[in-house]
Amino acid sequence: MESSDIFKNYFGVFRDIIRMMHSTNSLEEVLNLGVRRTSKVLNAKGALVRLLNKTTHQLEVRAAWGMDKRYLSKGPVSSDKLLPWDKGGKKIHIISDILNAPQVAYPQHAWDQGIRMMLDIPLIVNSQVIGLMRIYLTEPRQFLDDELDFMITVAEQFACVIERLRLMENQKAHYNHLALHMEKMSSLGRMAAGIAHEINNPLAGILLYSSSLIKKVPPESPLEEGLQIIMSETQRCKVIIQGLLEFSRDQEPQKAPANVNDILDKALTILNNEFYIHHIRIDEDLENNLPLTLLDENQIEQVLINILLNAAHAIEKDGIISIKTRMDIEHAKLSIEIADNGCGISVKEIGKIFDPFFSTKPSGTGLGLALSYGIIKNHQGDIRVESQSGKGSCFIIDLPILPSDLQKKEGSGDLK
Amino acid sequence: MKPVNILVIDDERVICDACHLILSEKGHTVERQLSGKSGLEALESEQYDVVLLDMMLPDMDGMNVLKMIKKERPEVCIIVMTGYSTVSNAVKAMKLGALDFLAKPFTDDELVAAIERVCSDGG
Repeated sequence: MESSDIFKNYFGVFRDIIRMMHSTNSLEEVLNLGVRRTSKVLNAKGALVRLLNKTTHQLEVRAAWGMDKRYLSKGPVSSDKLLPWDKGGKKIHIISDILNAPQVAYPQHAWDQGIRMMLDIPLIVNSQVIGLMRIYLTEPRQFLDDELDFMITVAEQFACVIERLRLMENQKAHYNHLALHMEKMSSLGRMAAGIAHEINNPLAGILLYSSSLIKKVPPESPLEEGLQIIMSETQRCKVIIQGLLEFSRDQEPQKAPANVNDILDKALTILNNEFYIHHIRIDEDLENNLPLTLLDENQIEQVLINILLNAAHAIEKDGIISIKTRMDIEHAKLSIEIADNGCGISVKEIGKIFDPFFSTKPSGTGLGLALSYGIIKNHQGDIRVESQSGKGSCFIIDLPILPSDLQKKEGSGDLK
Repeated sequence: MKPVNILVIDDERVICDACHLILSEKGHTVERQLSGKSGLEALESEQYDVVLLDMMLPDMDGMNVLKMIKKERPEVCIIVMTGYSTVSNAVKAMKLGALDFLAKPFTDDELVAAIERVCSDGG
């Protein structure tokens, strides 16, 4: 093939990918087009795309073209395979000796399929490797530098589209999950209000009689302990129902301009003793110029206390809680990060932590985070968690900054 | 404190009985009524010092009963009891003239303390 034809073909692929970028919202479609067009332009037997799963840190097969079906069912491989590019290199790896190359996981299988050469092209966005495309060729050949350069450019565009669509899909999944969650919580709230009254009446009977009886028990009687337990368990029910009621109540925040750093300070002061007892160090890294934001100070304080207490409980002893506040003017939001080096949350449990009544603590009501979640949503914010079992958790709260909040900050600057 | 005359209005018999037991032991006289209407009738025929009033009655809204008691017998000390306690509920009841507020469930000590408090406040 004439080199001008080769480049004409590359341009075709390039154009297709750019067009896809604007016309489809399906990651699958884009990936399939990518492997198909690239294979064709290189006259390859096939191609395969593996993308990095950021949670499991593994490379998963997401699309394949022209290869034996079994290739699609290949399991994930460790992200170590991306190491060659981690230092920022963008080079394409040409694997000519496929039977002995360490990067090839199934050399014999490939050989039997007639593969004699492979190209590994990294998919890089913002200098982060998000995956890799492998091209399978049936005969070894030489590539011009310009050709390799062009492949890298195509891969860059391809990677950008993939990343954008992945973000979109994640957001969509996230919001679907949120909508469902809110629905569940509001029906629970309605039910809770009804139950609370019904349960509190019998509890009142139990508590009045047991607290009255305990005074009539002769000293040293074993009855005393039993009655004490009945009383404290009844009080516990009261606390649970109180939590439920708070949950069901209209949580419309009473917003007033406040500084998130000040609220954090207040929450930390309240919990000072708790941290001291458990030998927990607090590392603060607060944004100096946070604007005043419209929010319900009490509610946000409650959220911060909930999260800080959870962090303290996740740490058995001698832990560190790192607190960070940041402003993101571009996205008109500020974020609060609270990270601990405690026990972390298992993959199995992480999806449930904002559900009402989910608790890992023996005496927990399971309402703290559910309530926090509701509060942040009512502030049009977002709350999420990143965690690794055994290493710790990080809660991230985003709160919107209104353009007027920013003006206020500038305004206050002028007054000085 | 000196014995007082107390009326308990609550549709839950167990709660009426429990209040009766605990407060009688303190030397007070306690009458029980299970509805708003019968409670108001009792107030017409008898002089009470304190009324313990449930906010959720089957026949009448507790807030209305409260208003009517304050209108007919402004000198009576009223303690409101509720199983659905919110700050705004408490504030509303206080504005209507209640002197104290017991959130169900409460202990015998809390009950006795509330009675003592309103009686000493009320003079």
